[in-house]
Amino acid sequence: MKQFLLNIWSHCVRLNARWPSIGSIAPFIPVIAAWWIVTELQIFPRAFLPGPAEVVRSFGSLVYMGILPAYLQDSLVRLAVGTFWGIALGIPLGILVGLSQRARTALWPLLLFFQAIGDIAWLPILVIWFGYGLTTITVVIVYTVIFPVVLNTVLGVRSIPITLHRAAQSLGASRIRILWEVVLPGALPNILTGLRNGLGYGWRALIATEIIVGTSGIGFLMFDARRSGSVVEILLGMIILGILWYIVDSWILAPIERATGQRWGLVTR
Amino acid sequence: MKDLTIRNLSKTYFDPYAGTNVTAVHDVSLKVEQGEFVCIVGPSGCGKTTILNMIAGFIPHTGGEILVGGRPVKGPGPDRGVVFQSFALFPWRTVLENVAFGPKMRGVRKVEREKIAHEFLALAKLTEAAGRYPNELSGGMQQRVGVVRALANEPDVLLMDEPFASVDAQTRMTLQEELTRIWQEKRPTVIFITHDVAEAVFLANRVVALSKGRVLEEIDVDLPRPRSWDALNDDARFKELSGRVLQLVRSA
Repeated sequence: MKQFLLNIWSHCVRLNARWPSIGSIAPFIPVIAAWWIVTELQIFPRAFLPGPAEVVRSFGSLVYMGILPAYLQDSLVRLAVGTFWGIALGIPLGILVGLSQRARTALWPLLLFFQAIGDIAWLPILVIWFGYGLTTITVVIVYTVIFPVVLNTVLGVRSIPITLHRAAQSLGASRIRILWEVVLPGALPNILTGLRNGLGYGWRALIATEIIVGTSGIGFLMFDARRSGSVVEILLGMIILGILWYIVDSWILAPIERATGQRWGLVTR
Repeated sequence: MKDLTIRNLSKTYFDPYAGTNVTAVHDVSLKVEQGEFVCIVGPSGCGKTTILNMIAGFIPHTGGEILVGGRPVKGPGPDRGVVFQSFALFPWRTVLENVAFGPKMRGVRKVEREKIAHEFLALAKLTEAAGRYPNELSGGMQQRVGVVRALANEPDVLLMDEPFASVDAQTRMTLQEELTRIWQEKRPTVIFITHDVAEAVFLANRVVALSKGRVLEEIDVDLPRPRSWDALNDDARFKELSGRVLQLVRSA
């Protein structure tokens, strides 16, 4: 018996080495199996908890009708626009606060104060100001993304050893070149951490905002499904959220981290 | 390469915890000729790193003057190359890019500055490491890059702040021998800070003993070059000079 299990295990290890992507799918197999067994045993009524097969079918039909691709696109574009502005405003602000004692004294309390007012807490007033539209959604996402980016950028900038600034100065670098050659790359691992957190929060805020103000998008799809009592579509929405995040993390964020901070030895592998 | 003159240099700063002014460097005067190798030696807290940081322009001095080739020092600049104890290589740049950094800041074209960098890397036997990142190198190799990076920018004065203090003893001896070899080849003006008396005597033309922010004495080192540890370990003159410097530093 023991030998048999060891054989299976070594087989899995070899398979995983050959196709690494299988390794990331494998943990989901028992989860899906358990889900399938629970639904087959009819522990809960079908209408409350549909099985994997029904969710896949629903996915097929929603793709076929063009609803899912359109909603997905809406959600991703909103996230991208919000994240872009979050980064474009957050990194310079973080560098300013990280480098300048005066800016830190002036802005740090404000940052902490506004960070505490969570993204969703802004929704009531934003809806009054901007109505049920893209502006409201974008503002919420920018607001969500910007704080982790700013705070982590500040941390990154401040953690650069002073000798690196000095080395650059005594090699003739101007202030602007130091910004580009020392401050930005030095803070990059922390900026990426901030971005990862920010995107994670932003993704959640997006879904919540779509539920409340949206007329399309994955969050709207799920909330709309609730209205018609379609648990299948709600489950589908949840699964899509998870998969999308996994893709963003492992196809975009993780490779950037491997190519920068890990390569440079600033982050341990 | 130019000469360096320090006249009545002092550094006083306010200690907010003690609530008093503390003087780290008292009235230090020193003249380093063009192409000379001077070691400043003294125990921790004697003000030697403070002096170097003032010469480099990293911190302001509160009295006296520092002249490089007759011109007063105002802030850091490429005329004074610095080698740091912590190496201070840019982790996100390859060895080649680190060495080419100074010329790049001067606006030297890519092909040209990489040629310069390769030349200096060869000087320190680092040709193989050109494409690697600093974190992939041993401490000794990293500091070779540090020295060569400062030299490749052709500074008037080379300032070295305990550069070999954080490498192991065997590597340190090799680096010291290599430094004397490179110095003989390029003849830069060097100020080298250390707490290691034997290191100071081994490297220098002149050793400046420092204690509590004051210069105790300057001792000329008339040992022949090229110098090697094999030859100097049992050398009577080397022992005599090291003994004198050690006595000075310890007595104060």
